[in-house]
Amino acid sequence: MERLDQLFVLLKKIILQFAESFLPAPLLPFLSILVSITAIAIFAPLTMMYLTWLERKVIGRMQNRFGPNRVGIYGLLQPIADGIKMLTKEDVIPLGADRVTHFLAPVAVVVPSLLLFSVLPFGRNMTAVNLDIGLLFFIAVSSIGTLAIFMGGWASRNKFSLLGAMRAFAQMISYEVPLVLSVVTVVMIVGSLSTEKIVEAQSGWGGLRWFVFTPWGFVGFMLFFICSVSEVNRTPFDIPEGESEIVAGFHTEYSGMKFALFYMAEFLGAFAYSAMAATLFLGGWQGPLLPSWLWFGLKTFCLVFTMIWLRGTFPRFRVDQLMSYAWKFLFPMGLSNILAAGIWYHTPFPLSFIFATWILLLSFIGLSRLNPTGTRLERRTYRFAE
Amino acid sequence: MSYGLGILKGMSVTLKQFVESYTKKGSIVTVQYPEERREDVERFRNFPILVYDEKPEAPRCVACDICAKECPPKCITIVRDRDEQGRGLQKPKVFDIDLSVCMSCGICEEVCPFDAIFMDHQFELSAYDRMESLNYHQEKLLKPNSYLHQIRPTDATQIDAKLKAKEEAKKKTQPGTTA
Amino acid sequence: MELFFYLLATLTLLGALGAVLLKNLVHCALSLILFFAGIAGFYILLQAEFIAAVQILIYVGAVATLVLFAIMLTQNVIGETTLKGLGQNRWWALGISLVVITVLVRAIQHQTLPSFLPEGRVTTNEIGHTLVTTYVLPFEVISILLTGAMIGAIVVAMETKKNKQQATGDRRRT
Repeated sequence: MERLDQLFVLLKKIILQFAESFLPAPLLPFLSILVSITAIAIFAPLTMMYLTWLERKVIGRMQNRFGPNRVGIYGLLQPIADGIKMLTKEDVIPLGADRVTHFLAPVAVVVPSLLLFSVLPFGRNMTAVNLDIGLLFFIAVSSIGTLAIFMGGWASRNKFSLLGAMRAFAQMISYEVPLVLSVVTVVMIVGSLSTEKIVEAQSGWGGLRWFVFTPWGFVGFMLFFICSVSEVNRTPFDIPEGESEIVAGFHTEYSGMKFALFYMAEFLGAFAYSAMAATLFLGGWQGPLLPSWLWFGLKTFCLVFTMIWLRGTFPRFRVDQLMSYAWKFLFPMGLSNILAAGIWYHTPFPLSFIFATWILLLSFIGLSRLNPTGTRLERRTYRFAE
Repeated sequence: MSYGLGILKGMSVTLKQFVESYTKKGSIVTVQYPEERREDVERFRNFPILVYDEKPEAPRCVACDICAKECPPKCITIVRDRDEQGRGLQKPKVFDIDLSVCMSCGICEEVCPFDAIFMDHQFELSAYDRMESLNYHQEKLLKPNSYLHQIRPTDATQIDAKLKAKEEAKKKTQPGTTA
Repeated sequence: MELFFYLLATLTLLGALGAVLLKNLVHCALSLILFFAGIAGFYILLQAEFIAAVQILIYVGAVATLVLFAIMLTQNVIGETTLKGLGQNRWWALGISLVVITVLVRAIQHQTLPSFLPEGRVTTNEIGHTLVTTYVLPFEVISILLTGAMIGAIVVAMETKKNKQQATGDRRRT
């Protein structure tokens, strides 16, 4: 069981021992990094392909139809067919478009999404790069992705693409604030930014110390999840891509492989954010019987399924509803979450839960009452002609 | 004052649909064509056919040209058959329907006074070229009355009864072949 | 490890030169982003990874975006290069920049910089600790400044919306 748990670590050790015999010593760290990078570079696109398959099947089932089931049994070869289709499409660049930026934008969107995978703890001892500031790296790199979307919209020389890019950008920076606030509570309690330490801090008591079971952890988890759905531009927050709204938003003018790269960045982001939510709040790779990487995969899969479920259920937000939700509801909720977490940390056991729960409940109810849905008419004021 | 309950209700509906699509029998409404097909509905109309009673050389059609005149996109072409002296016979020599023009409206069936033309149910009629393969001539359009009973049982039996009654009435008014 | 320093320095200098010399303003902003990323690389070489991550988060994530938004609001995005655009004042510009370079280089040469890294890495924990103990007054002053800036921005934005609603007779309270 121990061997199964550390399977990938053992594989990497075998590869390194095999290479030690014929490689000079200074190159060995490079080889070790190269092995991790290759593993991620194979795993990430494969995951993205099968996430698209999963999304189409699950949404199909929710809409009383089969998903794709012609290409291969249960449609499992559908992503490969999609990949071939996108590779063979003609690459159309609009006439007045800025060629350099148009070329660089898809690349600049995919690279940060791939970089996100390097700080995820896939299992015990299985983080690709164990940074001391892992979480901060995660957030910093995801903010580069937002800039690349703007580049994509600008380079197309299309008014609607630019509009989509501006709205995308405004949405993404607005939702980064509650995202970071919900992460701050975890960092406060654990005392470290490293993802490995955060997972270790949730160990013990058979899973009851996972942060999601604490009041601030539960609210933080909800905040993190909602903000991550918005950061990867998925429905209900998909104003930027708005299929059927502003044609396809910022990636209207991209065809073939460039569009495939944008699409890939969205799914990679969805997976990475779900994985980070599982790490921060749901205890990472911890779990009773199965190997650690399998638990990690299961928790991430459940969260990705929830993202797909949300896509199948809700209509799109309007852009002003979206912004007001972020700034008027989620941001104050994040602030009161920090207060609740601080109070939870410093008071002894039963009181801590009671105080934290009361603070959070009061702020939730207060914010819900302060942000009523719908618009109401004000008293009629007359303006007479003078 | 939503408090997020509406969200949970919506999500539970979708989850119920998802789970039922695996467990309940008829919840997925997709028909996996071409392995499964939908049932044949009697009054479904696609492209027209001509009906004959005993042999294909004697169709019910008398080449009255009413359906050609009433057809909105004018897809029917009729030329009456003539005998050796040049007098008109009561059957068509040429009866062409251009399927690429026909819009399946069924007006030809409605106006035919001799119950000769009916709308068929066949839709798998792909061809490789438009001009010749989709211009159906008389041989391709003729179908026996038994075929009509197969696709449109109630209408066919009604029409048969009507035609037989007309035959009886004609025989009665004919002066004494049988007393 | 010197190799990394030289590579990074070349990349950063190229980014800086691009930010000044390119014709298309958007390309200038993108080379500025390359420059910021190079600076973050320098911070990593100096073992100050927290500052590096914060540099990317703030400069690339926020400041560069601000620059791009400002560029979008200008009329002529594609103009002449900086050198050609100077025209008559070219020689004055050259002279003044030579003077500034000389002053800066002499100032740096006269400093006695340590030729080794300080003992013990400064971890994020220590940065946080000193921010709320030794440097608590600047910390609080900065927070007040940021709050003031945010409130000012909201006030400026809000007034125009109220005026617009009154002008159009829009009775909705959204």
